[in-house]
Amino acid sequence: MRNRKRTGWHRYVNGVSISTLVTALFIIVPLYWLIATSFKNPNSIGSSPPSLGPTPFSGGNYSNAFVGYDFGIYFRNSVIVTICATALVLALGTLAGYALGRLPMRGKFTTMVILLMISVFPAVAVLAPLYLLMRNLGWLNSYQALILPYTAFNLPFAIWILRNYFLGIPKEMEETGRIDGASPLRTIWSIVLPQALPGLFTAGIFCFTACWTEFLMALTFNSSNNFRTIPVGIAEFGGNFQVPYGTIFAASVVAVVPIGILVFIFRKFVISGLTSGAVKG
Amino acid sequence: MSRRSAPGKGLQRRGGLALAAVAGAAVLAVSACSSSGSSSGGGSASAPATAATATSGSIVWSASPLTGTGANDARTVLINAFEKQYPNIKVTLVSAPTDTDTNRATLATEISGGSSTPDVFMGDVIWPAQFGAHQLALPLSTVLPASYWSRFAPGLVQGATYKGQVYGSPLFEDQGFLYYRKDLLAAAGLSVPTTWEQLESDAVTLVHSGKVKYGFVWQGDSYEGLTCNYMEYLTDAGGSPTNSAYTSATLNSAASIKAITFMRSLITSGASPAAVTTFQEAQAMNTFGGGNAAFLRNWDYAYSAATTASSGGKLTASQVGVAPLPTFAGESQPGYSNIGGWNMYINPHSKNVGVDLTFIQWLSSPAAQDILSERYGFISTVTSVRNSAAVKASNPVFAVVPTTRLTPRPAGTAQYPALSTAIYQNVNGALAGSTSPSAAAAAMQSAASTALSSTSSGGL
Amino acid sequence: MTALSSTPEQMVAEPKLVGRPDVNRQRLARMGWAFTAPALLVIAAVTIFPIVYSVVMSFNNVTVTGNGFSLDGFTFSNYNLLIHASLWRDALYFTLYYTLITVVVELIIGTCIALVLERLAAGRGWMMALLLIPWSMITVINAELWAYIYNGTYGVADYILNGLGLGSPVILGTPTPAIIGLMIADIWKTTPFVAIIVLAGLVMLPSDVYEAAEMDGASGWYTFWHVTLPLLRPTIALAVMFRVLQAFGLFDLPYVMTGGGPGTATQSLAILAYNALFKNLSFGPGAAVATSTALLVLLGCLATLRVFRAQVGQEGS
Repeated sequence: MRNRKRTGWHRYVNGVSISTLVTALFIIVPLYWLIATSFKNPNSIGSSPPSLGPTPFSGGNYSNAFVGYDFGIYFRNSVIVTICATALVLALGTLAGYALGRLPMRGKFTTMVILLMISVFPAVAVLAPLYLLMRNLGWLNSYQALILPYTAFNLPFAIWILRNYFLGIPKEMEETGRIDGASPLRTIWSIVLPQALPGLFTAGIFCFTACWTEFLMALTFNSSNNFRTIPVGIAEFGGNFQVPYGTIFAASVVAVVPIGILVFIFRKFVISGLTSGAVKG
Repeated sequence: MSRRSAPGKGLQRRGGLALAAVAGAAVLAVSACSSSGSSSGGGSASAPATAATATSGSIVWSASPLTGTGANDARTVLINAFEKQYPNIKVTLVSAPTDTDTNRATLATEISGGSSTPDVFMGDVIWPAQFGAHQLALPLSTVLPASYWSRFAPGLVQGATYKGQVYGSPLFEDQGFLYYRKDLLAAAGLSVPTTWEQLESDAVTLVHSGKVKYGFVWQGDSYEGLTCNYMEYLTDAGGSPTNSAYTSATLNSAASIKAITFMRSLITSGASPAAVTTFQEAQAMNTFGGGNAAFLRNWDYAYSAATTASSGGKLTASQVGVAPLPTFAGESQPGYSNIGGWNMYINPHSKNVGVDLTFIQWLSSPAAQDILSERYGFISTVTSVRNSAAVKASNPVFAVVPTTRLTPRPAGTAQYPALSTAIYQNVNGALAGSTSPSAAAAAMQSAASTALSSTSSGGL
Repeated sequence: MTALSSTPEQMVAEPKLVGRPDVNRQRLARMGWAFTAPALLVIAAVTIFPIVYSVVMSFNNVTVTGNGFSLDGFTFSNYNLLIHASLWRDALYFTLYYTLITVVVELIIGTCIALVLERLAAGRGWMMALLLIPWSMITVINAELWAYIYNGTYGVADYILNGLGLGSPVILGTPTPAIIGLMIADIWKTTPFVAIIVLAGLVMLPSDVYEAAEMDGASGWYTFWHVTLPLLRPTIALAVMFRVLQAFGLFDLPYVMTGGGPGTATQSLAILAYNALFKNLSFGPGAAVATSTALLVLLGCLATLRVFRAQVGQEGS
């Protein structure tokens, strides 16, 4: 099944490859439209019938995003806020996820349900009171105004995911570490974590994406231009009644690239969990 | 037994204490927030003899993008001109979202949270009643002399008034116009339509002749802009949305049904594409500016947008004509145009009211209004600027402005958002063919009555 | 030898410890709370006050003024208003079946993609990067993209449908096509979420189980249905639970694409809450919508856990 060697044309045309192709097409077609429109002139965007390729090809939308708007600043702010929040979430979430999965504590189920309750509450309703909180702390227009709420709202999901993956690691591995006299932290660091890399990667990429694309809180807390993040910045492209699709799509293409790069870099950690051999028995 | 459970219980006890502490803090915070601070803006304060302005300080101005980017951004140009005249004042611009509802959400959150910034903000022309009722804006008539308001064109100050106090200083005004393709009309031997019926048949003729893809495009999406369009047809038909005291809605009248029936017939007759029920300003503009429509109903920016490549316009000046909107056959000319535009408001918690007043007064002075009009094509709110020959010559739209008749939206009630929602949701349903015009009018009437009768139904 | 199975005899035993079991247990429990405390503290500090405040507001008559919120009088009137409002019921039905359909479709497609990716030898990294691009787009941009595609006069969907001879439907202007359009946009964006979670779970499954099944001569389909799926159950439960959570909060797509229209066909609970809170500045009813939504989602998540029999509290306790 898995390791069956395919011969002849079956090597290239088989269920897996066809499904991959279909999936790739499903993803790519709207993406192509996004990218093509970002390279179109503003007055060919509304043309009917729509032109399939960006003719004439124009990079004007990209320069407009960076020069006409302060996209560079927004990019920097998004990077800072997202990386800090993700790092915090992974660090705190790993500890909590491990504890809630492996260590004998009373009230684990209650804690997990409470965490669920918190992530379930609509952000829209929480916004105004949270603003009051931030204002009273004097944290408006700062990095911590976003980093801490992002951490808090993404931790429940990360804890659930990490706990699930920690539970999937055989206990024998940790036992060997414990019998050898290693402290739990050490056990986590050198034995458990490498096994749970796929889970870490999953939690990390989701937290990163959630923080990178969050809009409401970033809009309300960081209204000053110096602390604005990408989603809020893009919401200001255009003017009264004008929706500059080209510039908006150009900015979002630029915003998407870092995530693609990150996933590509860290993909090995997902694969290594399979090939390291430690999972087998 | 006891030994095993003791630490657990101890932890739980500790946890319980912690939870109680947090809950207690939360309750304290809640009660603290709910106690009212100093109330400002008494309803019966009278206007001062002169405005107490200040000429040094720094303020924050929140405004959504108008037009232009970078150094050509209209807001930046205005700030620079202002700071040049008042070198000791610094104005910091905070860019607000382009979506007006999101803009209002942010402002309401900030001001109700007690923030002293932004000191001044640019707000929609339909906000005074809601902001006044919720004390989210300072009543300007208590800090500006009565003589200040005489410089504005008629009707604008009235629109910014709520319960006898004026909350906004009109910054620029907007209204609906009829744009048409001069070349297409000339080629078909048609004159500019002055009645809706004439426009409908002209549009159908042009579409059938194959010279243009669509006839008449306007804003029919389920949003505030549809209320603007609807108000034009309603007032043309002789109707009105509510009584003058805003206590009861009059949306189930014969005029209302006539208006909705006509709007729907535009689609069924082929004069307008069915897609117009999803059009906001941008989509209608793209269609007309891309050369695919013969007639367009839009605000005053449409002329330059249709003829500027960077805004998506492919037309030339000789192809685009502007005229007042038509009206129904048998009614007096011209048709009514809905009032739009933006006002300047002051944050009631602002610590720099003096500087705010200097800024606002400057913005309604000829210096600022000339920049807005001649350089950026916005319709000035100041009568003297509107009537000046130089301004009129700068833009073909301005020549039409004196000939239009204006009708406002029923925004004089704090329940306006729910009222507007009742209107546009039901009209949109009729346009899409989901309900008949008379059923839509009845539904609209009942939803509007609910909106007007309760102060906090939240639109439910 | 895995803790993922739900059969009782495979429930894992406590790790063998050196020393007196009671003391060690307490020590480990204390350590557990010490590990968990930082996360819980951060969460509590940020979320307890806003959530409690929101719930309190839903039970009060709230007036928003420039001086803050004034709450007067404990009352059920907000909830009363809710239950009798047909708009709320419509929003609830729409949100419910929207959630149901999108989650089911995404689950099926996402699991298939995960299975395919797991067997992909070369190019898996590229496929994963490609998959995550729709997920990582800002939701508002995704909505703008699809609104542009669905546009009635210059959208490419209209062009394609015309070319296929299906006429020129106004997708976002007719109730059912608008809902389907929203669903397609949502599925395109969030199927990768399910796929990646399931993939990570697949990758961590031990392969000895597969070897055993293969030796027994089981076919691919049998293996999948009777071996892989049961082992994947907790992972799938997790993916479904959080997708249900997110789908219930549907906001950006209808806000940008249809504004809740045509009529109120695509008005979700979150949009209803937003309108009540920030358009009408009625924080009482808005908080009531939000709190009732949260309660419903919580019940839904607990039900999901029950359905998948992922025994949350029983492992390792």
